[in-house]
Amino acid sequence: MIKTIISFVSAIILSVSFSAFSKTKVTWSMESNADRDPIFLEKLQNAYNSAQDKYELEIQFEPNETRIESLRTSMLAGMGPDIVETPGPSYVKEYQEAGMLENLDSYAAEFGWKDKLIPWAYSSGVFDGSLYAIPKTHESMVMLYNKTLFEENGWKVPTTLEELEDVAGKIKAKGMDVYTYGSSGWQPTHEHLVGIYLNNYAGPQAVYEAITGEREWTDPVFVEALELLKKHMVDEGWWSGSLENYYAIGWDDFHAQFATRGAAMMTIGTWTFQATSLGIGQSGDEWGWAPLPSLSSNSGGPNFMIAIGTTMSVNAAAKNKDGAIDVLNWIMSNKDVVIDIASDFQFGEFVVPLLLDDSDIPSTISPQVTSYLNEYARITGEGNYGYCTWTFWPAEPGVHIWKDMEVVWAGDISVEDFMYDHQKMWDKARKKNETLPVPLRD
Amino acid sequence: MNFLSKKSYIAWYFVIPVVFIHLFVIGIPSILSLALCLTDWSGLGKINYVGFENFIELFDDRYFKKAIFHNILWTIIFLTVPVCIALMCAYLLTGIKRGQMFYRLAFFFPYMLASVVNCQIWKYLFHPIHGLGGFFESIGIEALASSPFTTKETSLYAAAFVDGWHFWGFLVVIYLTGMYQVDNHLYEAADIEGASKFQKFRYITLPMIRPIFIFSLMIIIIWSVPVFDYVYILTGGGPAYSSEVVANYLYTHAFVRFNVGYASAVGTLMFIYVIFIVGIFGLLRKLGWEI
Repeated sequence: MIKTIISFVSAIILSVSFSAFSKTKVTWSMESNADRDPIFLEKLQNAYNSAQDKYELEIQFEPNETRIESLRTSMLAGMGPDIVETPGPSYVKEYQEAGMLENLDSYAAEFGWKDKLIPWAYSSGVFDGSLYAIPKTHESMVMLYNKTLFEENGWKVPTTLEELEDVAGKIKAKGMDVYTYGSSGWQPTHEHLVGIYLNNYAGPQAVYEAITGEREWTDPVFVEALELLKKHMVDEGWWSGSLENYYAIGWDDFHAQFATRGAAMMTIGTWTFQATSLGIGQSGDEWGWAPLPSLSSNSGGPNFMIAIGTTMSVNAAAKNKDGAIDVLNWIMSNKDVVIDIASDFQFGEFVVPLLLDDSDIPSTISPQVTSYLNEYARITGEGNYGYCTWTFWPAEPGVHIWKDMEVVWAGDISVEDFMYDHQKMWDKARKKNETLPVPLRD
Repeated sequence: MNFLSKKSYIAWYFVIPVVFIHLFVIGIPSILSLALCLTDWSGLGKINYVGFENFIELFDDRYFKKAIFHNILWTIIFLTVPVCIALMCAYLLTGIKRGQMFYRLAFFFPYMLASVVNCQIWKYLFHPIHGLGGFFESIGIEALASSPFTTKETSLYAAAFVDGWHFWGFLVVIYLTGMYQVDNHLYEAADIEGASKFQKFRYITLPMIRPIFIFSLMIIIIWSVPVFDYVYILTGGGPAYSSEVVANYLYTHAFVRFNVGYASAVGTLMFIYVIFIVGIFGLLRKLGWEI
């Protein structure tokens, strides 16, 4: 009898041990966000773990403020997670140059990743001719407006500078701010506006030429673009009423301002869709979106600036390289999973740049987001896209474009001097081979 | 063996664990990071020796010079405003017999709070929509409607004010401790001689607490060099570098611009400055100053 019990218990222990150790762990350090984490756990980690028996994905969440540094420290020590998540291509470039990321060329060829991803997004992960990163999310900048307010007042959604200045005057006359937006809590917010003015005044072609070195940043067309931004920001106080208020207002504030008619419009990235839907939804007003107005005849009509939010790579020192590759391939092979998660965020997060059809967009997402996705696909598909600074600017010019813009707005230096310094930084970055991949224009 | 078990060495044995921890956690990393000032290391990739290039660039860097100037201003502000207020309050507190503990606690309380909490309180207070800014605007005082943290002319002073508000209670406590150690007979003798309250403070209290007072000045000068948290949280060094300080400048270069070699050069200069200050105080002590 005792022998039987011992055998039975041993069999249970062995079977439990076997199942526990039969799956090898794959680690992923991900940016944390209280609203998003449970969805990633349920629909990504648990879904992947249930879908196969070989690997156990473990997502470790950490706020980006500390995660970026702890990731760098652990990578330097030859450790770090198996899947390396970075805030954008400039970080990928640093890790790739240091030999800390796995070359993904052979896996991309084996699993056909190139055919699954939007071409420009795929090429954003190609460094020195090889693939090192896959975008975890891609995004753009748009203009949101209070549709109900616009309809009540008979205002036309602006598409040109003249129309924009006209409607701005009417909005201000009503005692509201033209745009609500602010940089409190995230100083690089300035680059969103700089990018808008460069792309919609100078035009994407000129920006492309400057990124690739065919044109200087000191070109009058860029100077004029930033002079116009300075006029709207400092002299007109379009954003949150004044430059000082723009500096003092943060994410929650500007969403509240937009929802309560403190401002009529908002210039922001598509990552806001979920927050905007929730915020203004409670006020009873309806929101709309539009491409950013053309600010001169140079811009060549409406365009969408393209950008990569976060990226996914495989650690060259990964303990479970095969597992990490398997996770990435699972994501890219399961369009439904990506769409399901992205839908939970109103396509504001985890928008892996997979090639989608109209029929892929679920009916559960808001009509505004659906129309944006269709329009975005159409216009960028025609090759009419601009360039966001945080995706195509190397690290040092990338910081200069937002940090030192405050000096221009303060009137301490002229736009010409600012662009002269900017050009010098690009020259230095080019000399040190720090420039980032940029998709070719037709 | 006898040599190792000598009584005079026993204290050293107890200190050894702490020395080792300091050596591995602070000493060696500090020396290594100082060495980086002669390189162009980005923080990840190859390390290239560039000689004194970082220092040459640094001495030509207008924002670094601006940050140094702000650190000097910061030091002057802290050597005067909180010190004067704390001295005065500590002296007045010595005359309070009932409820003194309440005042001591009230003054010291901000020092016990985390810097993030202190900063958020003041940021909300001066918020242009929800805070005093909104209120002033509603009653038509436009000049006070903007947050002082986001106004170029006031941002450095506003950040220094919040840091000073948190810090001065600490000074009160250490000055008060010093004042309680002054022999009461001196005050009694002064009373007999008909000395005023100010004369007693000037000719008895101040000379008697001189070691503590000089010590407080020394720590203010040293602590003003790496000042970071209040500036970082309240203004981020902006707007337009108007509140930029050296430590925040170092942080931006090391962790945002991927310019670790350059940041190390900044750190090296900070280190040399602190050693210089400590050296001056050491020299003064050798010359017989009671500090």
